[in-house]
Amino acid sequence: MSGHHISTDKTLLGVFGALLVLTVLTVGVHYVHIPGAWSIVVAMSIALAKATLVALFFMHLYWDEQFNTLLLVSSVAFFLLLVAFTLLDTLFRPEVMPSF
Amino acid sequence: MADHSSSTSHSRFMQHHFVDAEQQFDAAKMGMWIFLVTEILFFGGLFAAYIVYRAWYPELFTLASEELNTIWGGVNTVVLLGSSLTVAMAIKSAQLNQKKNVAINLGITLALAAVFMVIKYFEWTHKFDIGIFPGQFYAFEGIDHPKANIFFSLYYLMTGLHGIHVIIGIGLIAWLLWRSMKGHFDSEYYTPVEITGLYWHLVDVIWIFLFPLFYLIE
Repeated sequence: MSGHHISTDKTLLGVFGALLVLTVLTVGVHYVHIPGAWSIVVAMSIALAKATLVALFFMHLYWDEQFNTLLLVSSVAFFLLLVAFTLLDTLFRPEVMPSF
Repeated sequence: MADHSSSTSHSRFMQHHFVDAEQQFDAAKMGMWIFLVTEILFFGGLFAAYIVYRAWYPELFTLASEELNTIWGGVNTVVLLGSSLTVAMAIKSAQLNQKKNVAINLGITLALAAVFMVIKYFEWTHKFDIGIFPGQFYAFEGIDHPKANIFFSLYYLMTGLHGIHVIIGIGLIAWLLWRSMKGHFDSEYYTPVEITGLYWHLVDVIWIFLFPLFYLIE
């Protein structure tokens, strides 16, 4: 059923603590200088983990109607579709468009 | 047929075209989620542009990112995360009928949002001072790359659109604070706090991605 779940202080502070730890981690990893493409993979994984924590617990999706989760997931899916089809063009050009 | 007169809710904010307060709450929340979908796609266009240009000019992003101050970006991340916590606390307080705590938590949220904007103001004006403007107005000599202006066009567009959202959020939370001081929100009715909270958390989530994409590039 729907969203009148009352979060405990313990949950809210626990999630906030985890978000702080992940923020320190992502900045720390930046100074370690992971080589090449891995640095962005690590940075985006940490950002995704933080966003998931916010969505599940601060935005109550963990206890909420699943339809609202479906809305969020579908918006992300359509964003990925946009990126994928755009890259099919821009990654495979013989040269970058002049003056861009 | 729903018998409206037997509704269990007695909130003065209950509207007659809903079956009960529960349905009114769920409808408002779903409406907000649909709005957030449009917001994600709105920002999504800019994130797509970022991805295209980063794939074209990876070395530019590494160079130009040095001009951004990781410490202040990190401080602002913590400030926004803290404001998300206090919004969630405000909702919890309303659910527990702790009306004073609703106002206190909203007040702290407002202060944190203001801190975020003040830090952004100093970051932007520092860049303006040394000639880092977007697009054709770019006049900074310190980055050895012909497309340096592109990085900062994306930076100003994305952090600027995000900043506009923070300012709108400040307006909404100030309105919530005023209403909470009039005692409008309790366990029977706290819909505006709930859905403004959803908006505020989304603004937080956008920043969670902007921070590593601009400030933490190898």
